[in-house]
Amino acid sequence: MAKIKLDIFRFDEATDSVPHRDEVTVDLPETTTVLDALEYAKAEVDGSISFRRSCRSAICGSCSMSIGGVTSLACKTSCGSAMEEDGSVKIDPMPNFQPMKDLVVHMDPFWDKYARLKPYLQPNDADSAHATERRVSPDDMKKLVDVANCIMCATCYSLCPVVSVDPAFAGPAAIAYAYRFIEDVRDGKRSDRLAQISEDYLWLCAHCYACSYCPKHVDPNDRIVDVKRAAITDRVMMNERGPRHALVVAKTIKQTGMLAETEVIQGTVGRFNIRGLLKVAPLGARMALKGKLPPPFLKPVPKVDEIRTIFDALEAPVR
Amino acid sequence: MSSTLLPEERALDAHVRTNSSKSKRYGFFPGCVAKESCKELFNSTMLLADRLGIELVELTAASCCGASVLNDTNRDVARVLNARTYAQAEALGLDDVITICSTCTGHMRAANKELRESEEHMAQANAILGKFGANYKGSVTVRHLLWLLIDDIGLDKLRSMVVRPLNGLKVAPFYGCHIIRPESVNGWESARHPHSLEDVIVALGGEAVDYAGKTRCCGFHVQLEKDGIASSMVGQNMRMAKDNGAEAVITPCPLCHLALDGYQADAAARWGRTDLPVFHLPQLVAYALGVPAEKLGLNKHLIDPREVMVSRDLIN
Repeated sequence: MAKIKLDIFRFDEATDSVPHRDEVTVDLPETTTVLDALEYAKAEVDGSISFRRSCRSAICGSCSMSIGGVTSLACKTSCGSAMEEDGSVKIDPMPNFQPMKDLVVHMDPFWDKYARLKPYLQPNDADSAHATERRVSPDDMKKLVDVANCIMCATCYSLCPVVSVDPAFAGPAAIAYAYRFIEDVRDGKRSDRLAQISEDYLWLCAHCYACSYCPKHVDPNDRIVDVKRAAITDRVMMNERGPRHALVVAKTIKQTGMLAETEVIQGTVGRFNIRGLLKVAPLGARMALKGKLPPPFLKPVPKVDEIRTIFDALEAPVR
Repeated sequence: MSSTLLPEERALDAHVRTNSSKSKRYGFFPGCVAKESCKELFNSTMLLADRLGIELVELTAASCCGASVLNDTNRDVARVLNARTYAQAEALGLDDVITICSTCTGHMRAANKELRESEEHMAQANAILGKFGANYKGSVTVRHLLWLLIDDIGLDKLRSMVVRPLNGLKVAPFYGCHIIRPESVNGWESARHPHSLEDVIVALGGEAVDYAGKTRCCGFHVQLEKDGIASSMVGQNMRMAKDNGAEAVITPCPLCHLALDGYQADAAARWGRTDLPVFHLPQLVAYALGVPAEKLGLNKHLIDPREVMVSRDLIN
């Protein structure tokens, strides 16, 4: 047994203007999960401590909270693994959400983004057109099972740095779930779904892999890349900066072997998009003053033909 | 295959013939940005290598690693391009490929993991490399210079080599996502609680500043996708560093450097002025190991680091 100091964020939106913290000491082994420690604290010390929980075994997705500064499921995280040197475990509500009471947050923005992608099958034909259920081959289903493991705990959403600065971004979970329907052979709305998720800023994913901390190993990061590739293959919203950027990067690598910074900026923003170019111009001017502008043209690396052979062999698209 | 020799092939040829140098040799993949807008990173890396007594053999015919963007267009092309780079290293007898960019590290390691773990991927890559007489056997290991400093040089040795300690300069580490995440690809240290940069800062005589932003994203990869997005992410992180007492930032990634150095000015309206100078990892290490400050390209930074160095009696 050890003394575990639970350092808990306390706030009630109904009565408090600012949050405070309470320290609750519990005598439990370090292997105790944070959820069990909270349950113990609530039962034995302070019945007003509020948090969400249901299944206690990483299936329901209710108990995500920030533990030691990183969002995790309280039922899947031991106190010992998140303990500071002084024996305390810092527990906060999930970031990127408005706190409601203690560790309970308003989940609405997260659910709204789910609802927007119409998370149900939309086949093109009537059920009556099929003599049996709609069948899916094991190979086709294999692509979907990982994403289907998502328990909507919002861990990824709360860790996403893009959501933290731009709430319009769909967030990792919604994009991964869009993939689940986009790649479902029974679904008939692939192009509508790709357009919808592109509008919800699919291309704003910053490639940071913060969502690789998924407690169910859904790895939304890889599915986001899959959806972007599907958008390029189906030529959805190709004039947006996201697809333009990806394809001009590919073009400069094929031409020179290198990612040519100058051409990538022009090709993404648009060579004739004067207003857009003016917006990036101040930084360009500051860099120019420091002799830091990338060269306007790059000399291809030696044996660049080999690089072009690779692109051609894979029929990799370029702009 | 082309009969003209690459510079590194000529150099290694001479090296083998004379066996003049006993220093440890590494394959060196500088990446695109260190050859374009962050040349000061390339130059200070070479100066640092000299101080450390190691030889970095640049792979001059290598391609871009794919920069995390190429995967958005095609699932295989980045992996095969990296296989070509590894084949070049293997042909030169260099199994250790050193990078100086977090994004290069993560994406080259991811490609290498796929190649080494999947016969299908390796066969696909070699079928294409075979068209120009190249082949990758799978022997290459990709590491960042930061890892080399700690694993091959060692913190004790590094500390003993310091001739100009940082006089307690308060430096905030900024890792850059792809050197730590995903852990399944990098895994050299904890992605949630890394401390290698802190260890280096302390070894150089500085004080490491802890803050929640150190493992977060700089926004570089989406700076062009929507106006203001990268500057917001930069402002948020630099605010945290500044509020925790940082006087400067150090990063092992030139993409983070471009964002952090470039966007703090734009972020000031929303996050307040931070004006934290940002050092490339090899710049600060090279400085402490005695490389003259004027050779490190500090004048190329948008936020001039020399002011804070003067305040700590590091330069005049």
